[in-house]
Amino acid sequence: MAVFQAVRANQEESMRTLGQVKPWCAGILVGTVLAAGSLVPSSGFAQESVSVRAALVKGALPADDPSASAWNSTPASEFPMSPQVHWPNRIQEVTVKSVKVRALHDGQQIAVLLEYEDPSQDPDDAAGLEFMVGDKKAHFAHGQPMAQVQGGPVNIWYWKNKDNNALDMNAQGFGSLKVQDQQDVKAKGVYQNGTWKVVFSRALSTPDVEHDTQIKPGDFINIAFAIWDGKKLESGDLKEKGSQKAVSSWWYFRADPPPDYSAYYYVALAVGLAAGFQFVIIRKLKKGATS
Amino acid sequence: MKGGVFLKPAILIVGVYVFLKIVLPLFTAPLPASLIFLYLALTTTGIVIFATLSGPSTDAFFGPIVRFLTGEGQGGAAQGARIAVLLLFPVLVGWQTYTSTAPSDQPPAENRTIHPAPPGEYTGLSNPVPNTPENVMTGKGLYAAFCSPCHGGNFDGKGPASRGFNPPPANFSDPTTIAMLQESYLFWRIKKGGVGLPIEGMPWKSAMPRWEVELPDEWIWKIIMGEYDGAHQKPRTWE
Repeated sequence: MAVFQAVRANQEESMRTLGQVKPWCAGILVGTVLAAGSLVPSSGFAQESVSVRAALVKGALPADDPSASAWNSTPASEFPMSPQVHWPNRIQEVTVKSVKVRALHDGQQIAVLLEYEDPSQDPDDAAGLEFMVGDKKAHFAHGQPMAQVQGGPVNIWYWKNKDNNALDMNAQGFGSLKVQDQQDVKAKGVYQNGTWKVVFSRALSTPDVEHDTQIKPGDFINIAFAIWDGKKLESGDLKEKGSQKAVSSWWYFRADPPPDYSAYYYVALAVGLAAGFQFVIIRKLKKGATS
Repeated sequence: MKGGVFLKPAILIVGVYVFLKIVLPLFTAPLPASLIFLYLALTTTGIVIFATLSGPSTDAFFGPIVRFLTGEGQGGAAQGARIAVLLLFPVLVGWQTYTSTAPSDQPPAENRTIHPAPPGEYTGLSNPVPNTPENVMTGKGLYAAFCSPCHGGNFDGKGPASRGFNPPPANFSDPTTIAMLQESYLFWRIKKGGVGLPIEGMPWKSAMPRWEVELPDEWIWKIIMGEYDGAHQKPRTWE
């Protein structure tokens, strides 16, 4: 108690010496500068192998041209691929070890470009994108049932070189893969220099919310990939087919929302307030010093 | 002693920062930036309280600050530094506002529980297979055939099929996996697989097969023995 009173007495004395509140104002100012300095975040780059970002573009999407130069305007995310070992029939080794993914949208349509190395072009080469449908979580392996969580279906966009177009499909459990009555997805692949470039496109939203994934700009949704090397072996079998394929588990996908400049207004307000605060403090300090 | 008023506090703040950021993580997990900020704010508060314990010390501490801020009797470099500080402060406030209000393009943070609680019927089961060298050997053989493609021949979770999976397969040689789990827990995880996890384990992301549809229980118990032996770990027990 005595210590507290002594501190208080000293503070009262210091108030008298330096003029009212000014040491505290100065202290707050210096402290805030120090604190603000320590809060500057370390740089972080979120694009690596965690999510695919579909940039918002003006003008036509390169939805039917996997080689269009417009694709170079957006960075690629790269995801490793595993042999499908989750359920029989398994495969221990796959041709495609990783896939590069780019995406663009124009507010109405979305286009997703897969790019991967495959030493041979074969009629049965194929690739697929997988999304969850609705609010329920779905297992990445064809939305198979989960013991303690009620899962939902998956929407699969499938492309095969032979047809060079897409199939819009659904699954909820093994053996339940079904081609939709209403086909909304388009796809086109181009093979060049040992690399497949396959572009999938669809409207961001469709009326069939029960079967189609809905892409709302700004929201993160899940995406997974599957790739088949359809090379014919000497035995006559295909190297990869059906469940024997290269897969990924879920990653994130987001279509960029329209630009939001509100943060800049807040910044302008904050800078104005900080400058005003400084001005008032210094004026008060100056007055105190001359009085 | 001119300038010395701020030298000690500056050394103290820098010292605390270096300790929290560099020295402490040598012994324990790195501290989150928000906690480091809190400690630095406390240190700054402590310094201000200490400096204002008496009238003369308050004058000694705040006098130079007040003179610096008001620009009283300053010229040249000091005046330049003053203008720099007065410009820097609103800029830092603006930057801080920007980083906290700008729309984030980071995916949502995931709090996945790696070892969630097993269902009641899988707690406290003991391995019915005798722990003999033959059974351990058989378990290792089964492990090599069914588990090593993902969990690795070295039990390190780096098998050739592991690369595309998120979350990655468990590393059994890590002391925070099977070494802190009971055999009955492993029995549940192997038998029911990723899809058997509760919601906090995010079953929709796990590539772990539901082995009950392919392997008899006895094989699973032998695999568990082979896993512990191969990874040089011991199961956790109640004793």
